[in-house]
Amino acid sequence: MHFLKWLPVKRLGTLLGSVGLLLVAAQPLAAQSALPPDTARAQRLPTVRVAGVRPDRFAVGSRRLTLDSLDLVNYRTGTLAEVLSARTALYLKNYGPGQLSSITMRGTSARHTAVLWNGFNINLPSLGEADFALLPATGATQLDIQPGPASATYGNGAVGGTVLLSSPVRWGAGWRAVAQGELGSFGLRAGTLEAGFSNEKLAVRTSLLYRQAENNFPYFEQVATGRVRRAQENAALQQASFTQDLTLRLGQGGELTAAAWLTDADRQIQPGIGTNNTNARERDQSRRLMAGYRHISSRHEWAGRVAWFEDVINYRDDVSGLSESSVRTTQAQAEHTWNFAPTATLRVGAEAQHFAAQVDGYGTQARTENRFSGFALLRYDPRPRLHLSLNVRQAVLPGRQVPLTPTAGAEWEVVQAGPQMLSLKASASRSYRAPTLNERYWRPGGNPDLLPEQGIGYEGGVVHTLAVPTAHLRLQTELTAYHQLVDNWVQWTPGASYWSPRNLRQVRAQGLEASSQLSWQSGAYQLASRASYAFTHSQKTQGAAYDSDPVGRQLPFVPLHSAALSVDQQWHGWQLTTTLTFTGYRYTDASATSFLPSYLLLNATAGRTLVVGPSWKLLVLAQGYNLTNRSYQSYQNRAMPLRHGALSLRVLWR
Amino acid sequence: MKSLSTLTSLPYRMLLGGAATLSLLACDPNNDPTPTETPIVTKSVFVVNEGNFLRSNSDISLFSKESNSVRNPLLFTSVNKRALGDVAQSMAIQDSLGYIVVNNSNKLEVVSLASFRSKATISSLKLPRYFVAASAEKGYVTETVAYGKAGQVSVINLKTNTVTKSIPVGMQPERLAVVGNRLYVTNSGENTVTVLNTTTDAVEGTIPVGDSPNSVVVDRNNNVWVLSGGKVVYNADYSIDFTRTTKGSLSQITPGQLTAKTREVEVNTSSPGRLTINGRRDQLYYTYRGGVYTLAIDDDKLPTTPLIRRSFYGLGVDPQDNTIYGGVGSFTAADKVIRYRSTGAAIDSFTVGIGPNGFVFY
Repeated sequence: MHFLKWLPVKRLGTLLGSVGLLLVAAQPLAAQSALPPDTARAQRLPTVRVAGVRPDRFAVGSRRLTLDSLDLVNYRTGTLAEVLSARTALYLKNYGPGQLSSITMRGTSARHTAVLWNGFNINLPSLGEADFALLPATGATQLDIQPGPASATYGNGAVGGTVLLSSPVRWGAGWRAVAQGELGSFGLRAGTLEAGFSNEKLAVRTSLLYRQAENNFPYFEQVATGRVRRAQENAALQQASFTQDLTLRLGQGGELTAAAWLTDADRQIQPGIGTNNTNARERDQSRRLMAGYRHISSRHEWAGRVAWFEDVINYRDDVSGLSESSVRTTQAQAEHTWNFAPTATLRVGAEAQHFAAQVDGYGTQARTENRFSGFALLRYDPRPRLHLSLNVRQAVLPGRQVPLTPTAGAEWEVVQAGPQMLSLKASASRSYRAPTLNERYWRPGGNPDLLPEQGIGYEGGVVHTLAVPTAHLRLQTELTAYHQLVDNWVQWTPGASYWSPRNLRQVRAQGLEASSQLSWQSGAYQLASRASYAFTHSQKTQGAAYDSDPVGRQLPFVPLHSAALSVDQQWHGWQLTTTLTFTGYRYTDASATSFLPSYLLLNATAGRTLVVGPSWKLLVLAQGYNLTNRSYQSYQNRAMPLRHGALSLRVLWR
Repeated sequence: MKSLSTLTSLPYRMLLGGAATLSLLACDPNNDPTPTETPIVTKSVFVVNEGNFLRSNSDISLFSKESNSVRNPLLFTSVNKRALGDVAQSMAIQDSLGYIVVNNSNKLEVVSLASFRSKATISSLKLPRYFVAASAEKGYVTETVAYGKAGQVSVINLKTNTVTKSIPVGMQPERLAVVGNRLYVTNSGENTVTVLNTTTDAVEGTIPVGDSPNSVVVDRNNNVWVLSGGKVVYNADYSIDFTRTTKGSLSQITPGQLTAKTREVEVNTSSPGRLTINGRRDQLYYTYRGGVYTLAIDDDKLPTTPLIRRSFYGLGVDPQDNTIYGGVGSFTAADKVIRYRSTGAAIDSFTVGIGPNGFVFY
């Protein structure tokens, strides 16, 4: 046990040492130069006539990782669970292929990650978290990950971090379309179609996805007679997604945006190894509609947005029967941005959310809840190389007091000499998480008196950038240390006759994040690579008297070490992408007694692009997953597939 | 949430359901002379750790009374190099063998008590709950089968470790006990005890008791004691309707009779459960209102004050010296077992696995 506990550290050292790409960076990186053929024209922020202020302008001093079309291109038929698992050092607790995937950022739980789509929180209001396996990668064209507390900027739940989904417009790109068909192991069949058009006035994008899989993959179970090979039962799925984005410029400063994202998943729920198969099945449907208008003048920007979401979860198994859940969320945001000096921007705004839940677990009557918040975000650059931000948000939740949640951040470009740049950054932030609808209304057990959780966090870091344009080389390395205390942490605990959530404890999460991004081009050869490592130390530090979990132990399902390395290479029409991820051991109980072993996963994609006409290209892709044939578990007692693969044919027009 | 709600409700669902309660009767005084008995000596305590639902992390912890320490917190897994299975519901012994009922893996694991090596796996059961051996050749296991439907008792040939037949009983059969050639099965989904003849496996009859009988013991006079939790009735909003929820009760059955004398507990705000008896088989223990209550088999009234003020997920009484073992079930961390003297004074505690729900003294 003692030896095993330390084994992952040694393995990690070997991994990083042999890779030699230690501890390097995290900004979007100049990946453009290495874009694969079908994305070379996509997703760059254009020099627009109407230049709005992006929300990340106020996120000074925070680490941020952007996954753009280069990262997403080979996951067209996949989900964000697959993208994040393969290309970042984030650990997603995965209950099987295509099954529930819940994220943990900076040592917190999935409820502490805010997931925003076009500025609106899309966490399921009942659970307060997102299942990343229900978010197809085609729903957005850009994924920004901002670890750390940022409730002032992103609102409720941005305690451990925030995942932002967006589809930035590239104006004047004309028509384009991509279609892809895929056949893979275990009955995987998938197809996507994406078509878009933009001129200088109108931009539209439509994407469709359908995929299905039997997921009858083999796995091994240890029984009395020895190790037996079994075929996974009850893990088939069908999934569909439809996205429609539209942006229309109106007059000189007006811009109208509308977007729809419909997702539908019909999943059998994979039973645990050696557990009773109750033929559990879940239907998850989300309908998300939003519309916004903004008007920008030389110094002012007004924006208003509304959204309507419906999230349906219908679960059925042989033991419990049917349990239905439907939550409708209506929300509105309004903000005004004032560039009152060339070096200073102020944004003030407000948000209102209305939830209407018809959930079997809450009883027959519908439950409604309103939440409000107001915010002010200030960005000030007192010197060209010094950036400051100060943000505050005040949330108003029903019947409960939420403290003011401010964030202060600073970035200082200390050295800028030739190709070298070194900057320092720091931020301090208070964050909050409102109790979820399940935590408040679930019968029995729901606790309407729960207090919101609060976090106070600090982070500091250094970023080094080496850019040699003549050699087409850019290397960015970032090292961040953080510390956060989360108070009133909610935990479900068994009572006399049922479980109930309570504000039980304080959790301290601290750690280090190191990442490095490299892009290099030499002749026809292009290389883009990202290495990242996270050390995450998260423990309960104090608890209520009736909280029996011990203090000072690493929280369950938070790996102490995790790392990821992705390498994208291109040469003439050939491309090769490899991703290698390491997930350290994870305790499965709060006493840090039992653990799941660490694992290393290697995936690779090889492809060849053929030009078949003036505006037509074909791309043939062979994808291999878990190439080392590792038998592993992401979540306790759920089988994962051994080595498997897929073949894709992509047709690109224009 | 889904799995959590299933997890939360599963153990408690066993305590719910049933119909009306019978009258309240005091039991007859017991005038039998006390026979001389050989003292019971126990050296080991097997703690059944239920584990987390769907995570197959149940196990048995071995506590040594000699060294006052846990010899092996994960006994089955470390000896057999594999998981015990999902939700270890209970364990019983017959001769030198242990029978572990693994509820959500639908199986019975047979182990040698000396080495704890697996001797056999009896699979294809239907949500099995509790096991009892009637002889060296024959055992019985209760099975839920499905909620809202009749459960069953399966007959196990202990020589071949196979199921020989299955007998339909009432809904959600729970603990069971053998007296002579009769088997008493508590049907927790209703208000009855099914009596089976262990020679013929025929149903001899059904005894009405209080709502939701969950546990059963046999006293030194071979009277059968059945504890019922009472039927919990919910409002439309899933809060408990205490105007219609029935009180728990303790019933006494004289062997050979198909009637019971039933006494109700004080209030319906808590469901009594986990009826246990001491080694002399003259003192009863059960959990109720966040505590442990005890009474002698010839007491006229049910106790109104607890012996121990602490709620337990598992309750055991050492037949050698009446030491009381209480298992605390947090289900999040390695849990604790607290030991008490027969007076209710705490002795010590030790750490076991997740969700200790029962104790076997050997």
